[in-house]
Amino acid sequence: MNRLELKELIANAKARKENGKHKIFVCCGTSCMASDSETVLKVLQEEIKNLGLENEVEAALSGCMGLCNQGPLVKVMPDNTMYQKITCDTIKEVVQGQFINKEPIRKLLLFADTRPEPFINAEEDPFFKNQKKVILKDCGSINPEDIMDYMAHDGYSAFEKVLFQMSPEEVIGEIKHSGLRGRGGAGYPAGLKWESVYRHVNDQKYVICNGDEGDPGAFMNRSVLEGNPHSVLEGMLIAGYAIGANKGYAYIRGEYRLAVKRFETAIKQARQKGLIGNNILGTSFSFNVEVRIGAGAFVCGEETALIASIEGKRGTPSPRPPYPAEAGLWGKPTLINNVETLSNIHQIILNGGEWFSNIGTARSAGTKVFALAGKIKYSGLIEVPMGTSLKEVVFDIGGGIPNDGEFKAAQTGGPSGGCIPVEHLDAKLDYESLASLGSIMGSGGLIVMDKQTDMVDVARFFMEFCMDESCGKCVPCRVGTKMMHDLILKIYEGNGTKNDLDRLEELAAYVKETSLCGLGGSAPNPLLSTLRYFRNEYEEKLKQHKHVSHEHN
Amino acid sequence: MAKKKLATVWLGGCSGCHMSLLDIDERILDVAKLADIVKSPIVDGKELPEVDIALVEGSVTSDEHLREILHIRHQAKTLIALGDCAVMTNVTGMRNYFPLKEVFETSYVNAISNDSEGKVPNHPSLLKLNDKVVPLQEVVTVDFVLPGCPPDADTIFYVLFEFLNDRVPDLSKVKKLKYG
Amino acid sequence: MNTIKVTINNTSYDVPANASILEVCKQVGVEILTMCHLKGITDIGACRLCLVEVEGVNKLLPSCTTKVVPNMIIYTETEKLKRYQRITTELFFAERNHMCAVCVANGQCELQELGYKVGLDAIRYPHLFPQCEVDTSHPWYVIDHNRCIMCTRCVRVCNEVEGAHNWDVMGRGHQVRIISDFNTPWGESITCTSCGKCLHACPTGAIWPKAIVQGQLNKNPGMITELVEKRCMKL
Repeated sequence: MNRLELKELIANAKARKENGKHKIFVCCGTSCMASDSETVLKVLQEEIKNLGLENEVEAALSGCMGLCNQGPLVKVMPDNTMYQKITCDTIKEVVQGQFINKEPIRKLLLFADTRPEPFINAEEDPFFKNQKKVILKDCGSINPEDIMDYMAHDGYSAFEKVLFQMSPEEVIGEIKHSGLRGRGGAGYPAGLKWESVYRHVNDQKYVICNGDEGDPGAFMNRSVLEGNPHSVLEGMLIAGYAIGANKGYAYIRGEYRLAVKRFETAIKQARQKGLIGNNILGTSFSFNVEVRIGAGAFVCGEETALIASIEGKRGTPSPRPPYPAEAGLWGKPTLINNVETLSNIHQIILNGGEWFSNIGTARSAGTKVFALAGKIKYSGLIEVPMGTSLKEVVFDIGGGIPNDGEFKAAQTGGPSGGCIPVEHLDAKLDYESLASLGSIMGSGGLIVMDKQTDMVDVARFFMEFCMDESCGKCVPCRVGTKMMHDLILKIYEGNGTKNDLDRLEELAAYVKETSLCGLGGSAPNPLLSTLRYFRNEYEEKLKQHKHVSHEHN
Repeated sequence: MAKKKLATVWLGGCSGCHMSLLDIDERILDVAKLADIVKSPIVDGKELPEVDIALVEGSVTSDEHLREILHIRHQAKTLIALGDCAVMTNVTGMRNYFPLKEVFETSYVNAISNDSEGKVPNHPSLLKLNDKVVPLQEVVTVDFVLPGCPPDADTIFYVLFEFLNDRVPDLSKVKKLKYG
Repeated sequence: MNTIKVTINNTSYDVPANASILEVCKQVGVEILTMCHLKGITDIGACRLCLVEVEGVNKLLPSCTTKVVPNMIIYTETEKLKRYQRITTELFFAERNHMCAVCVANGQCELQELGYKVGLDAIRYPHLFPQCEVDTSHPWYVIDHNRCIMCTRCVRVCNEVEGAHNWDVMGRGHQVRIISDFNTPWGESITCTSCGKCLHACPTGAIWPKAIVQGQLNKNPGMITELVEKRCMKL
């Protein structure tokens, strides 16, 4: 394929999209599939055939639509009418109502059970209206297993533009200008990272897509890979072109079977179309992509451990410097970006860095996807501009605490993050604000906790996670997390003493500062932040200690 | 300077530390000039009175030991953990990797030296072993630790002599640290 | 030789470029505590004892894997580092079952030596008392996991110097273990050449020859270094 043919292909795809047909999407993300959405899709397709609606309606699967606990979800386009908890029986009602009687089925509408007046156009509902979708723009409205559907939504236009109209320096300049920061958690400016890999001269460089999402309760990357894999692939291609790499690896967590399958399908389709391979579209740029499947180790999300894992070694981190930009995969300059970072790229190229930098705050540009979970009315996948307040996310989008419960704290950043208590409900969700509150942005897990939640138990839970997931290479993380876990447990069970709390705090500072990698370095965060805001709960538990009189003072 | 009161106590240990204490030989006379040994396995004293210094050998292995160490802590101005067992459980703690039941059966039932009738002793007057052996500082505040298995006589004398003269010894400064 | 200027603990030195902070400190006589480092095999920065403070860097850097750069200002004995070295040592002792009194390496042990150096009189953290295996299946040697501190010097020496790669690491967190081949008894290893280098590389009493008792172990880690250096010499 050459450039002209690609343009023609994209034009054809767009024309096909505008064929005037209704599109009905059945969410086939992991959680909706767990509620058997695949069978719903099959029944739907048969029903369309039975009713002779083939010329008016097209049914397809899609990725995540956001409200995962209301699945299986069905969306009718272009009206944006969404239905929840659809079964093989009710899908027939929906088809009958939507396309024969031309009247939506109100009792099945999304939010029909929780809102007095559910919206026919779901986009008008506060849950969606308060969001801003960039990364998830097409997620849920395209078929992730069809490259043509992606092209119909401007897919690969950015790659085409980069390849024929921009130099690598210009691409990097655009990314720098956009202010995009790494979405894996640390928030390092993506443009600077690209530039430093670009500057290291080597005839072999690599691009790695980090899809080893491991935080408990987080499923942002999974949803993007499942719902719009081509956007990530296009990001990798553009990155490869910009830094001068000809090989990419997508490291995807092994538990994400569907994401792996969809991403592999995407690679296959892109290769068939000549978008991956040697001398792409007749240029001198060659790029190949392979998937590497993680074996379920949280630590492999750390870049040096991930690289070791791709190399076929035990997935343990190594000290930096040298950074991967200098000596990464097999000692070659390597760019590692998170799935979410890469899925922003094609839109930045198409709409310009300026456009992107205007979203969000001055220092944290763009949007962020959060996996909203815990004690919240509407849990699921949401996307908001950086700098949106926690209050807006929890109450305007998430609908607040169910059963008239009272908000106590929100946990961001998973096992590396911290808690934000009710007095900081107005806190802005961006890198700096969260850091100043003792938490981190992290990859985007957001767990809401109500008054019933025991904060010591929260700290214990996350410490147990870190203890189990420590790779065991360095002493502070291997032994320190175990010690801290045992001490928190002792306090939690009411056997703790003041001395235990002191030792805990000493260890927390030590592990944070001396650990080899980010896992240990951030493992004390949940403990430290609960101590900062809920110290009284720890002290309450100390008072329960039965042998207090033994202590000689 | 008024004469101090000194006690030495033997908890869960092998008495090796007390043997080492005796190895200070004639220097015991120097100690005796400064203190009365009011309770010790080597003197005939029944009750532990209030003392200035208590040297405690061994770790806490049973309900009886726990009661005793709490009492000592109450009575003693300065509590010194004497030897590796008191400081870090050492050999006494080697049973901690096994369930207590297994420990009993290994010693009383399955040991080669036992005849076929071996059984686990169970009498109300016997002390009850705790599940886990712990060093002193896990249950009480320890004022000074003196590791070694056993600490050698010179070191014991140095520590004792310093305390008897109201000075706090520093093992690392005089290069007298030793484990094992 | 290319030399650069660095400052260590407020004293300025001319040192070779491209050397690690650890090498440089050793050369100028500044002592740095180490455990996973053994000259001759690759450094991995795992024990965290050799951490140093470098001006302008907001984290502590392992001196074994960090190269000196011109005008680097290094501190090796701040109060904080000393405190952390002590905690690391305590955690080493508390993690597994280090009963010096009944250990073959008593008096020959780098961990024991480290304890003396940091002035460790008592361990303030509870001992974990894990149940660890003692593998005596090898005809000549024993590996006692109770004494292992996971420095992986044996793994590296076996892989890099002997080229056998009998040893590797299994599991994660505090449950990591050194394994022979694919976690089979050492005596059944098809890769082990019984060369004994791991014995000498081991800093504690975790690997030792049979037929010795408490305190009898004689080891010579310097032999590994000498071997590697002689190999690299041009004949």
